[in-house]
Amino acid sequence: MSDTSPTQAVGSARRPSLLPAAEARQKLRRKRARMDRASHWGITAAGFGVVLALAMIFVYLFYEVAPVLRGATVTPQAQYALPTGDGRPQHLLLERYEKLGIQYDDQGVVRFFSADDGRLHTKFELPVPAGQRVTSFAAAEANGGITALGLDNGQAVVARHAFDLSFPDDQRQITPKVEYPLGTDPITIDPEGRPLLHLAIQSVTRGSGGTNIAAITEDGRLLLTRLDTRENLFTGEVEISTRGIELPMATDTPVRLLLDKTLQSLYVADRDGLVHYYDIADLGAARLVESVDAGRGDAITAMEFLVGTVSLIVGTEGGELSQWFLLRDEHNQFHLNRIRDFTAHSAAITTIAPEYNRKGFLVGDAAGHLGIHYGTSARTLYLDQLSERPLRMVAISPINGRLLALDDQGMVQVAGVWNQHPQLSFSALWNKVWYEGRSEPDYIWQSSSASDEFESKFSLVPLSVGTLKAAFYAMLFAIPLAIAGAIYTAYFMTPKLRGIVKPSIEIMEALPTVILGFLAGLWLAPFAEENLPAIFSFLLLMPVMMLLFAYAWSRLPAALRSRIPEGWEAALLTPVILLFGWACLVASPHIEVWLFDGSMRQWFTDVGITYDQRNAMIVGIAMGFAVIPTIFSIAEDAVFTVPRHLTQGSLALGATRWQTVLGVVLPTASPGIFSAVMMGFGRAVGETMIVLMATGNSPVVNFNIFEGMRTLSANIAVELPETAVGSTHFRVLFLAALVLLALTFVVNTVAEIIRQRLRTRYSNL
Amino acid sequence: MNEQSTESQRPGVAISASQARGNIALKTLSLAEEKTKIAVQNLNLYYGNDRALNDINLAIPEKRVTAFIGPSGCGKSTLLRCFNRMNDLVDICRIEGRILIDGNDIYARGVDVAELRRNVGMVFQKPNPFPKSIYENVAYGLRLQGVNSKRLLDEVVERSLRAAALWDEVKDRLHDNAFGLSGGQQQRLVIARAIAIEPEVILLDEPASALDPISTLKIEELINELKDQYTIIIVTHNMQQAARVSDYTAFMYMGDLIEYGDTDTLFTNPSKKQTEDYITGRYG
Repeated sequence: MSDTSPTQAVGSARRPSLLPAAEARQKLRRKRARMDRASHWGITAAGFGVVLALAMIFVYLFYEVAPVLRGATVTPQAQYALPTGDGRPQHLLLERYEKLGIQYDDQGVVRFFSADDGRLHTKFELPVPAGQRVTSFAAAEANGGITALGLDNGQAVVARHAFDLSFPDDQRQITPKVEYPLGTDPITIDPEGRPLLHLAIQSVTRGSGGTNIAAITEDGRLLLTRLDTRENLFTGEVEISTRGIELPMATDTPVRLLLDKTLQSLYVADRDGLVHYYDIADLGAARLVESVDAGRGDAITAMEFLVGTVSLIVGTEGGELSQWFLLRDEHNQFHLNRIRDFTAHSAAITTIAPEYNRKGFLVGDAAGHLGIHYGTSARTLYLDQLSERPLRMVAISPINGRLLALDDQGMVQVAGVWNQHPQLSFSALWNKVWYEGRSEPDYIWQSSSASDEFESKFSLVPLSVGTLKAAFYAMLFAIPLAIAGAIYTAYFMTPKLRGIVKPSIEIMEALPTVILGFLAGLWLAPFAEENLPAIFSFLLLMPVMMLLFAYAWSRLPAALRSRIPEGWEAALLTPVILLFGWACLVASPHIEVWLFDGSMRQWFTDVGITYDQRNAMIVGIAMGFAVIPTIFSIAEDAVFTVPRHLTQGSLALGATRWQTVLGVVLPTASPGIFSAVMMGFGRAVGETMIVLMATGNSPVVNFNIFEGMRTLSANIAVELPETAVGSTHFRVLFLAALVLLALTFVVNTVAEIIRQRLRTRYSNL
Repeated sequence: MNEQSTESQRPGVAISASQARGNIALKTLSLAEEKTKIAVQNLNLYYGNDRALNDINLAIPEKRVTAFIGPSGCGKSTLLRCFNRMNDLVDICRIEGRILIDGNDIYARGVDVAELRRNVGMVFQKPNPFPKSIYENVAYGLRLQGVNSKRLLDEVVERSLRAAALWDEVKDRLHDNAFGLSGGQQQRLVIARAIAIEPEVILLDEPASALDPISTLKIEELINELKDQYTIIIVTHNMQQAARVSDYTAFMYMGDLIEYGDTDTLFTNPSKKQTEDYITGRYG
């Protein structure tokens, strides 16, 4: 202010100043300025620190999730001529350590060669009888390494390649070998002795094992031979029983013959674009089931199983790729169904190589393109020119780190592969996916299993729905209680009682949720199952009881009523609630006998409602208790801070207190109440321990109050400790965390914005 | 604070109501001739153990403006709030004695407080429109009375806003939030809200103390217009205002009613020394 400036003070006669000396004051001013600056920078730094910390969490989560979005990369490493003799290569493989390539040729020779430079490592000659010519080749599922050679006398030779590992001088040494699981003698497939032009083999060692060999002869007959091996317990001698049948041939132009691992199906693809499906489960009743048009007019040029031999990938002359598997119809008959299509190649598909332990496959085409596709997610991870020449064969290593591609000039391309997360795509995470063996597309979360052939099901929909379901039922329980309680406490309750009630409810917030979850899962869930009618009558009739009591109270003589001071009436409800709860419990078994044939739980099952012990109702109650303090506290503040002059203005206009609540208090406090609800919702969405312990953690997609759910947070808690760091599953869990963080962040931000607006609005009042 | 009003150019503190009204021929006012609207009989009011009002006896005439003046804390607002029982909202407040409106004791058992407050409207020191539109603010009291007909509401809203001299300023933005109005407009809106429910008595608790001089002037003009239809009681700190707008004035001090009479007499010829000290500015 100007009137305190020194110029005015100079002239006037002054009493001696009581203030400290000028230097002392200047020193103080400097000190104050220093403190000011320090606090300014300190607070600014702290504020930015908080924002930065949050940003870092986001950045870290993104960093962990980002690789999921990458496609595959293929890095060419070397090129060399495939070591061959006179024969044409029939089959190309790459072993587990990516050091040795394996090549079968049509002379019955197996060559193991260095994958780095193509140098021949070892060569084995398969026992093809002298004078016979190899006319066809077949390989069983790549994991087993079983192959078969079809001969021109109607016989077949079955072999298996394998590796011995040794570590001389701490160096890994891979020693290839070739075994003969069915003996070295050729097996007669065609008793008539005609050349076998097409061959298929599949061998099962687990369970009631056996081997199927299918062949098409030169004169167009389709033959199937089943070999059952039995080992004599005493002599160790292997006994082989053989049974052969002939199947009706449905095509003149077969291209590919495939047998599945369940030994129940046989597929024949032809140049008319048809796939013929034979049911061969029972050899006596084997039959052609159907012929489906898989090529849509184009000739089929390649067909291969994905790992597990459930899905067929069909490639056509036009470059189209489609996935097929068998589905049971309403008459319990299997039919081949087209499940999904993949990005088409620009030239005829020449070769398909499935990956070893997941549902991906590599494709080579006549224009020298290499494609890497994935079944479940329908993603094309890589599609580019690899060679100038048409590709004849492609091989991928069992760990998906290296590939070999052979062109029609006998040149091999070696390339490194990075293809870590092909399973995930936006549609695989959020849309319905048609998984192998399922009758229809669905949302499924099933992240792991014991088997290599398992198809991971990473749909985030069940988890998100579960999260919202848990939050919804918790809010359904908490909102009426918390908000009604907040209004009563803030507006009707006497200050003294309010001083007890409000802190008590707020202290509930400090209750560890693990205790709430523990109680809910181990005490409330079984208790509720035993006493379902009690729970229902309590939840539904309690409000009625309260109103009845209030009515009865208002009818009591005034002398009695005036004993209780105004604002303390709520305390009278405590014995009523306890008594009624007890009455419900006592009546429960009788209600069950009268209305529900003795067991309400059983009655639910009988009328077709699934009832799980740990269900949404239990979670709703337990998590409701966890969020009530949050909602109550904020809503109570919002109602309580509605300015007195507004409520007085309303009362002065002749409004009753109730009219004032509805007409002025609630509209004014509504943003605060809304933000309280959002805060509670944010808490319910992020809550972990209660849902972990009380939901049963079943990732179902429904809103049935009697079924459980699995939430994002509980899922992370359950699965993160047992996933492999860096795996797709690991990254999906981080993605789930990101979704959860984004969800709570959005909810809380909206709530906070509304709170800020409320604050400015009140400052105007 | 009233430098801008023309009246303040006249010398002296005591400007009579008649002078403020522009020297209209002075009509002699006499309490004895008035019809009593509100009678206060032996009123004592306690906050806990503290006595805030001491044995007040007062007769407030119908369709006149009565002003309560006095220094801060003298109990004038407390007395005002007794007339519509707003003191009931204070837990520790206790009342002895009687207040009769039209001969009926408003503190008798069985009195409907909400109906009493409908009949005795109140305007507070700080404008307190609800966080609603201008229209809804005025319609609020009617809706409480169960009026929901749009036509009826429209009519009452317009009439009340016209009566509060606000219609022309807000008729184009009836559905805007009331907080968009200036302080003076808000206060007139609150008055419109009060008269919409057709009260007989209007209590004004320092209605202009938070307003600028122009707005104050408008409120005072409005009070003059309203007094033909309503019994108005105004509490004010501002003696000039009391002198300008009121017909009768009561001077209170420390919970006692010191002097009560027609405004001209009280300001020009007070009978008590305390009154004279106060109106000449010795304290307060």
